Amino acid sequence: MIEEKIPKSQGELIETEISMGTVHPAALEPYRVRFFVQDEIIQEAEITIGVNHRGVERIMEGLPVEKANALTEKICGICSNCHTWNSVMVAEKGLNIDVPERANYIRVIMGELERLHSHLLYLAHGNEVLGHETFAMRIFYIRETVMELLNMIGGNRVQYGVSVIGGVRPRCQLDDMRVQRLNEGMDKLEKDLTKFTDRFTSDPIVNSRIEGIGILPPKQAKKLGVTGPSLRACGFDYDLRTEMKEYDDFDFNVAVLDGCDVKSNLLLRVLECFESIKIIRQAVRNLPSGPITNRNWEMYDCKAIKHYIEVPRGILYDSYAIEDGRIRSSIIRTPSMTNIGAMQYAAIGNQITDGQLCIVQCDPCFTCTDRTFEIIEL
Amino acid sequence: MADITILYSIIGAIITLIICFIIGTFLPGIERKYVQARIQQRIGPIVTAPGIMAPIKFSFKENLRPNSPAPGLYKALPIVSFLAVLLILLFLTPQMYPAYLLASIIAIVGLLKVEEVSYVLMGSLSKSVMSLSLKFPDIVKGAAHTSGIVRSHLEDISSKRSLRMITYGSFPLYLALFVPVVSAKSLYLSDIIKYQMANGPLLFTTQGILAAIVFFIGSVIVLNESPFNIIEAEADVIQGPYMEYIAGYRSVIYLSKGLLMFTLSALFTILFLGIPLDLLSWNFIVFVVVALIFTLFIGILNAFTPIFTNKQFYPVVIASTLLGVLAIVIGILI
Amino acid sequence: MSLKSYSRSKAIHIMLVYTGGCNGCDIEIVNSVLSPKIDIEQYNIFLTWNPREADILVVTGPVTYQNKAPLLRIYDAIPEPKIVVAAGSCALMGGVYKNIHGDIPSEEIMGPVDNVIPVDAKVPGCAVRPQDLLAGVVSVLPKLLEAD
Repeated sequence: MIEEKIPKSQGELIETEISMGTVHPAALEPYRVRFFVQDEIIQEAEITIGVNHRGVERIMEGLPVEKANALTEKICGICSNCHTWNSVMVAEKGLNIDVPERANYIRVIMGELERLHSHLLYLAHGNEVLGHETFAMRIFYIRETVMELLNMIGGNRVQYGVSVIGGVRPRCQLDDMRVQRLNEGMDKLEKDLTKFTDRFTSDPIVNSRIEGIGILPPKQAKKLGVTGPSLRACGFDYDLRTEMKEYDDFDFNVAVLDGCDVKSNLLLRVLECFESIKIIRQAVRNLPSGPITNRNWEMYDCKAIKHYIEVPRGILYDSYAIEDGRIRSSIIRTPSMTNIGAMQYAAIGNQITDGQLCIVQCDPCFTCTDRTFEIIEL
Repeated sequence: MADITILYSIIGAIITLIICFIIGTFLPGIERKYVQARIQQRIGPIVTAPGIMAPIKFSFKENLRPNSPAPGLYKALPIVSFLAVLLILLFLTPQMYPAYLLASIIAIVGLLKVEEVSYVLMGSLSKSVMSLSLKFPDIVKGAAHTSGIVRSHLEDISSKRSLRMITYGSFPLYLALFVPVVSAKSLYLSDIIKYQMANGPLLFTTQGILAAIVFFIGSVIVLNESPFNIIEAEADVIQGPYMEYIAGYRSVIYLSKGLLMFTLSALFTILFLGIPLDLLSWNFIVFVVVALIFTLFIGILNAFTPIFTNKQFYPVVIASTLLGVLAIVIGILI
Repeated sequence: MSLKSYSRSKAIHIMLVYTGGCNGCDIEIVNSVLSPKIDIEQYNIFLTWNPREADILVVTGPVTYQNKAPLLRIYDAIPEPKIVVAAGSCALMGGVYKNIHGDIPSEEIMGPVDNVIPVDAKVPGCAVRPQDLLAGVVSVLPKLLEAD
């Protein structure tokens, strides 16, 4: 594998440029990418974000804390629960609030269910970019089980609003019927996913399409600040969940592969799905009893509080200060910010047909990321 | 007397064309509903929707001006390619056998070439709003390569790929077309049919089976069906050369797909089973059955494979070319 | 029923344009097309990504600043007769970005879709449910079938 991928510099002559627009079937979210191509091999790629900028941090300035936590959910539709969880934990860390054990277990269950739904969506979208409609439809069918479980606990298929300051909402209480449905759902999901994975990995045509495509050299991945499954697919064993105190009671493995290409990224997320099923089963079996919301806390002023958690795409960072019950100067930095930048280098050396596949391989979430101002001068 | 015979044969040829065209419009719907939707475990659309209802609907839409540097030529191209396929079907009818060179393999190869070259022209003349013409601020301060670079649309990639398909991808079909010529030792369709009526269908000989496999792969390449649909890959060039067609011209494109499917399966029946395209005999049912089996196999191949890029395309084409050459050599030796 | 409206009802092409927002609605709409459980192809509705082929334009998301010009270009490229369906609460009234009434409003939202292009059907929800979207599309179909 080569050491480092270097794009061609400004002065050298490149044959042609192909631009794929804001609306494109291979892109689930709006962004603009320009490929600089010579002989159908990509020499350089430039991704432009900022199309989705809505000014969320600006709106949050001066909002009451509970309202701001509800707004963070609407930042992204795929990874909605993790933004709320992190934002609520920032307030709990700053105001020294104790979260009951049962509430913590329910939050972990929702976090792992969201990881399942996000990884399955990524697999289906990847298959659609490959051109394989049948596999994409099969995965969407398997994903319906997870969506029904999310609907049962949270109340909505997308954007469930489970975490509040001090615990979870009273609606998300897990009684016997819900516990039984969770167990049945996990059994069905494990069976379907195993069958599908055997079929997917034993297909020689699909394997020849995804092996050796979009390689990001490990040294360059570390230098560019890639986190999450894309880093674990380059051979580095780094998962923040092993250090979070919410995951102390659970026993799971961290999946690591070292191919650095599209195939490793796809397979790694399938392995992570099986680990998530394991965690959910442990949580449901050992669910402690007790209340699920802690309403005995009081608000006072804090300076800027920071918190990191591991979300399905990497490491999420959130920080804000509380003044007079309102939020001041919030900063949210998502993992896709560096992952997308790294994909500009991963696309070098591949053909144009695989160009979009190389960008999609890091599971980008452009809506989470668009939180920077961009000044344009034409 | 000769006038009445010529009149009857013209009417016969036209009626055969119309009935084959009508059968051809059902084939895309059968592929979508009864093959692909069953494999994907869902109910599909109705059988007439992709082949008949969609063209009729498109003919009632407003006729806007396509975004192209030469709109007249761009709009004429689908009609030219539709007429080329229709002429192939006409030359397959028994009424055309007296016109010597027109009812031979040479004419069929030439007309298929016209149909393939039209993709190259369509791709270079189409400038759609979905790639470069979108008003996005690309050339700004801080962007890469702001000067001295050629900015091209997505459809230009399609036309370059069509050139490659013409150069390499037409080998399998043309080699398979020459195997019956070698066995019957003549280029004319009437001689090929007479040879098979005397010696049995060509499909049941060694070179016939090899040539049938190569013919099938070659026809999937000519039809631009998945896995060989790199010209119209949806994840990449969206619709390729067809992006800017509106209203009536788009319905011509939809109709010519069904017609091409039926024409290729009729060619297979004539060359490898030795049955003439005669509407008034019971053998016409064999044509319909072969067309349905063809659609079934194309649908199964379509549902189970992703799109082939260069890495997978070249080995398949090389392998089928070698098989075709082997079939021709066996045909010469036996 | 004339041939025109019969053929229009048996082959309907839908195009999806996302203009910012959280993309939850887009996932649900793509889910409704590609998932065998919901499968809108059984109602003869096909998904396309080419504006020249589309009859119905489904718009999601509040229109952000950079997305306004592309939306207008795509809307102009669709031939008549066409109808526009605005799906999701962001497309209807700006969603939570325009209505949370904080101290500093956002300057990036160009407003609901109504401010940019004319809208024929409005489907609420956050995120919109696949069954509701299908009901919304079907309810506005007579306008498409009867147009000249």
